[in-house]
Amino acid sequence: MKTPLRAIIGFIGPSIILLLIFMLIPIVVSLVISFTDFDVYAIYDWGRASFIGFENYVNLMQDPLFWRALLNTLYALVVAMPLTVVLALSFATLINREATYFKNFFKVSFYLPSITNTVAIAIVWAWMLNPDYGLINWFLGLFGIQGPNWLGDPIWAMPSVIMLVVWKAVGYNIILFTAGLQNIPDYLYEAAELDGASRFQQFLHVTIPSLRPTIFFVTVMTVIGYLQLFEEPYMLTAGGPLNSTLSIVLYLYRQGFRFFKLGYASSIAFMLFLMIFALTYMQMSARRSEV
Amino acid sequence: MRKTLVVLSVVMLLVSFNFGATKITVWAMGEEAKSLDQLAELFMEEYPEYEVDIQAIPWANAYDKILTGIAGRQVPDIAQMGTTWMAPFGSMGAFEDLAPYIENSEVVKPENFFQGAWETGIVDGKQFGIPWYVDTRAMYYRTDLLAQVGYDHAPQNWDELYDAVKKLVENGSRYGITLYQPQDNYQVLLPFVWQNGGDILDSAGNVIVDQPEFVEAFGYYTRFFTEGLTPIAGGGNLFQDFASGDTPIFFSGPWMVSMIRAQIPQIDGNWDVALMPENKSRTSFMGGSDLVIFRDSKNKEAAWKFIEFLSRPDIQVKWYQIVNALPSVPKAWEDPLLQSDPMIATFGEQLNDAKAPINIPEFQEISVSIDSRVQEAIYGRKTPEQAAKDLKKDIEKILK
Repeated sequence: MKTPLRAIIGFIGPSIILLLIFMLIPIVVSLVISFTDFDVYAIYDWGRASFIGFENYVNLMQDPLFWRALLNTLYALVVAMPLTVVLALSFATLINREATYFKNFFKVSFYLPSITNTVAIAIVWAWMLNPDYGLINWFLGLFGIQGPNWLGDPIWAMPSVIMLVVWKAVGYNIILFTAGLQNIPDYLYEAAELDGASRFQQFLHVTIPSLRPTIFFVTVMTVIGYLQLFEEPYMLTAGGPLNSTLSIVLYLYRQGFRFFKLGYASSIAFMLFLMIFALTYMQMSARRSEV
Repeated sequence: MRKTLVVLSVVMLLVSFNFGATKITVWAMGEEAKSLDQLAELFMEEYPEYEVDIQAIPWANAYDKILTGIAGRQVPDIAQMGTTWMAPFGSMGAFEDLAPYIENSEVVKPENFFQGAWETGIVDGKQFGIPWYVDTRAMYYRTDLLAQVGYDHAPQNWDELYDAVKKLVENGSRYGITLYQPQDNYQVLLPFVWQNGGDILDSAGNVIVDQPEFVEAFGYYTRFFTEGLTPIAGGGNLFQDFASGDTPIFFSGPWMVSMIRAQIPQIDGNWDVALMPENKSRTSFMGGSDLVIFRDSKNKEAAWKFIEFLSRPDIQVKWYQIVNALPSVPKAWEDPLLQSDPMIATFGEQLNDAKAPINIPEFQEISVSIDSRVQEAIYGRKTPEQAAKDLKKDIEKILK
């Protein structure tokens, strides 16, 4: 039986309209704006903006700060992504084990950072990372190690941000992995055990292959999430010191909402979009060729 | 029962008074918004033909709220505007030019306000804002610790300040002074530049950050960091550091007076507030809030009446009584209420020599490049001379 068109519109129409208003139109508008010199003077009077073609993009390519932000973001991505996946997977495996004590306690404490407001977290971390009174340097001091000025040192600032980001992201991914782990049927492990596979071999040859869809989902989501790194460096370091934690979105925010160069900011947004699209596409096709 | 009746009849009375009144909507932020009703009531008693509706916006959302308000033309008649926000929002063309109103006003005249405060309302040569309340920075210092290193007075000039800080560190303070701000570092640096007779632009609009006045001040400021006399990023808790003597000197605004008294009473009597150290002058940073009328307002005359009312010296004193905001009108400072607290009076004195940075829309961008060039110098990546030269290139590019 064919579904009447009226029913189709009735069911999905409202959500399509909402999607149009709140997603598609803003995206198209910002694409258009990225070809204009929309700035402070144009906010009140749109007539003051004019089309300048690809000038924003050309300027962006010659903007050393953009490249710096890009490198910083990729640095964060390259370090944080594997860390997140490995940590989340190992914690999920531990929580999923029958023999683990205090499971609920660990579940709660791993997940808590994900739902806590980043602003509140950043204040606590800024204190923990404080070189003179912080918990971390106090702890290192017990072993006679002189800790660095975490947030004040251009070399250590990004690793500090990454620590916070990973710590915050792990909880959410543990949930995904736990769900994946619970879907692996027990007989696979039993069969592997009968074949004489060790614990580690079981993990390598049963768990990992069965979790492939989950691992794929988690990596794609974390890549997208880390490319959009913003709140943590904004709260902890505001991009400093010496621009060592300036991320792309932080740079976009600065151009758009502090300098009101909305045209330029839109072009950054589109570069970011292209990058996320390209990386996700690459991951997708890598997976397809794998299967 | 009788109480409710009384309240009810009062409400009825107020409603009947306000019937047909012109309504003025006001956006205000923070503590000001909570307490502005008290002044609005006084205003409505005097001018029953007007009705004032105060809408409170939290500081955290205010910037976005005003921005979207302007973009969507959903604005009130009057808004409170932080002085550093005057330039970006003012240059959008959303504010009413107040010059014609000022010409016909008895109360609001340039000479009735602190000069530095008055200038915060000028953007692109137009008077968009009237200073409502002001704040300025002065020097907070520990009298007991300074006495230990031979200072029975606050450091009076640059040499004394440097000397005192150095001695304080030798005397066991972790740092001698706090200067760093992770953001908006220019607010700390610029007073030193002004004190040395320098600035960012000269009157003809040329960038003069490579001039000796600027470079010298920049070098003076940088030395505190490179010699480890002040924390570089990630400073601790200002109150605790002040109480423990880890940072016995810092520059801050008048709000800290009551906060220190409330939060660290254990050092009562061992600290004081002094004017900025002198070099060629004692110039300090000027902040605070202005009042603006939006161009889309339909009750501009009424809105102006309310601004005039808030600028009256007696109302300004009343406002100080309510929220401790410092009057922008020197006449109000003659009131014994402001003179009786010597610490607050110091801020009053400092206000005569306080300055706001240039009010141009590009200043946000300039301030960010100042921040990053300052960082290059205080981290020892560049000499102050080199950083100043690069800063000049940055600013010239921004203003191009």
